[in-house]
Amino acid sequence: MIEKVIEEEVPTTEENKERLRLLTVVRGETLRNRDIYERPPRYELFFPNFVMKELCVGLAFLIIIFTWAYYKDAPLYELSNPAETPSHIKAAWYFVGLQELLAYFDPYLAGVIIPSLILGGLYLVPFLDPDPVKGIGRFAFKERKFAIGCFLGGYVMWYALLLVGMFFRGTYWSFYWPWEDQSVVKATEVALWSFPLPAGIAFLVCYGLLMLLLPAVIFQDFFFRVGLIRYFITFNLFAAMCFVPIKVLLRNGFHVKYVLVTPWFNI
Amino acid sequence: MVKAIVGAEVLDAKKIARREAIRKGLFWACWGVFIGFAGVLGASVVRFIYPRIVFEPSSIFKAGKPDDYKAGSVTLVTGRRVFIVRMDKGVYALSAKCTHLGCQPIWYEDQQIFKCPCHGARFTKEGINFAGPAPLPLPRFYLSMSPDGHIQVDKSRVVSMDFLLEA
Amino acid sequence: MKWVPLGLVRYTFCLGGLSVFFFLLCILTGPFLMLYYVPDVNRAYSDVMDIMQVVPFGAFVRNVHRWSACLMVLCVPLHMLRVFLQAAYKPPRQLNWLVGITLLILTYLLCFTGYMLPWDQEAYWGATIGATMAENTPILGAKGPFSVLPSDKDIHYIMLGGTVLDQPTLSRFFFAHCIAIPGALAGLMGFHFYNIHRAGGMSGPL
Repeated sequence: MIEKVIEEEVPTTEENKERLRLLTVVRGETLRNRDIYERPPRYELFFPNFVMKELCVGLAFLIIIFTWAYYKDAPLYELSNPAETPSHIKAAWYFVGLQELLAYFDPYLAGVIIPSLILGGLYLVPFLDPDPVKGIGRFAFKERKFAIGCFLGGYVMWYALLLVGMFFRGTYWSFYWPWEDQSVVKATEVALWSFPLPAGIAFLVCYGLLMLLLPAVIFQDFFFRVGLIRYFITFNLFAAMCFVPIKVLLRNGFHVKYVLVTPWFNI
Repeated sequence: MVKAIVGAEVLDAKKIARREAIRKGLFWACWGVFIGFAGVLGASVVRFIYPRIVFEPSSIFKAGKPDDYKAGSVTLVTGRRVFIVRMDKGVYALSAKCTHLGCQPIWYEDQQIFKCPCHGARFTKEGINFAGPAPLPLPRFYLSMSPDGHIQVDKSRVVSMDFLLEA
Repeated sequence: MKWVPLGLVRYTFCLGGLSVFFFLLCILTGPFLMLYYVPDVNRAYSDVMDIMQVVPFGAFVRNVHRWSACLMVLCVPLHMLRVFLQAAYKPPRQLNWLVGITLLILTYLLCFTGYMLPWDQEAYWGATIGATMAENTPILGAKGPFSVLPSDKDIHYIMLGGTVLDQPTLSRFFFAHCIAIPGALAGLMGFHFYNIHRAGGMSGPL
């Protein structure tokens, strides 16, 4: 009975506090001391309340993992053989997205530059966001459309690549639609072509200018709020991010190998 | 009160400046020693992880007689990562290492192409990267005929795309 | 006395806490696997086979290690997503966001070095791909654009301890997986928590 009274949200008037203290004294050790301190509205103690809740969730997952580990063995393939790559090879699931990305770009791009841009962009997030307070601690989808849109876009793209690599890629990393039989090796291979150098330069320059100038012209308020340097970095990263699906589209739709071919590097 | 001011005056501007300079000098010297120490430590760690001796197989090896290979066939030299391609007129050796990310392409007889299983690169019999993400064609290795009539592959020498050991 | 917003577990899904929990599970099971696993290219695979088939509860311990690692690498990006959506990287928590991204990188590195250790086909070719990616780094890699270092001095050579995957590679990955990366991860995790405390608790609605 006494506990029930305390669990309710009691307005913290001077009288109530006194009552709480008295109750505590009456129950002695059995009452947890959280209730004798003044509790801010809608807040709880980090320890033990919050930690205990986390621990409960952890224990639930412990049960899940133990059951899962009992019934499903961790994958182990045949002994490594430096003389032969298996015809059907997929990385562990968390790297399949990267593997799929690597199928569209040169290794220096997909393996080094793009991950560096992703991580560099993530590191820069707190400094690129011009607003220091908006939406802290809540899901402010409407007020932070651009920030959340960009982040979700990149996030979804990473996992979309992962899913495509996981379910639509078969033997020899050929693309199979869900209704196609993955055990049948694809009979035809389409040769790829690249943009000639002037066309490639023109494409990249137009793309870059479009991505850098258009948002500033359309959303002028946004441009002035963000400032030139932030704007420049943000939209360079944004353009790099949008280039990935564009290249995927060009590769799959038009069999384009490279947009830009130079003696030193290809894009 | 007056005495205290007089006492302070004893430290003239020159002395103060010198003390300040010593203080600053010591400050930066400390930082210099620290950065130098950390740098030497870091450099030695980097040097430490550079291996000095590497036990790796020789890049020159023999791959049987030209007549061991059927005309038009592609054979993998197991463990050496080299394809020996026998044509009517001669023999050439292709690297069995995808130029994309180093997996080993698989010769697919039905379509007469090499398929790399890792990221889907495709090479023709001549080693040309016609599809998939591979940035370069498969390199050809220098071949010579050893005195006992065996093909000798030198993996350290890459030759042009029209190289053919006549046999 | 630390107050946190009530119902935090409910609408933040407890993802950060779960990541720690899965990491702890890995830390607890890993040393047991180390008792039977020797990082030797001739033995590694058969040791893992032994763990899976001969050692009592060996399969269970390895499964828990592997599956909790899987869940951790799922939870960490989700936690990052939650933090971004709730704008918890904004002042005063910028530093913690940076530490968090480093933790994300370390988690992925831990996974990469970990699935190399059984020395099976997936591990071998996965490591080949990883190493060749390093080789293709611009400037620092031997095959990358604008490379300056020869193939026996570039970062790929440091990573593998040679020019091909062999014993030095496995030793290096073992060291990275068991000592270097978990140590760094644990240390940075502590810093991550300390930063939460210093920034005045988790991001409540303002």
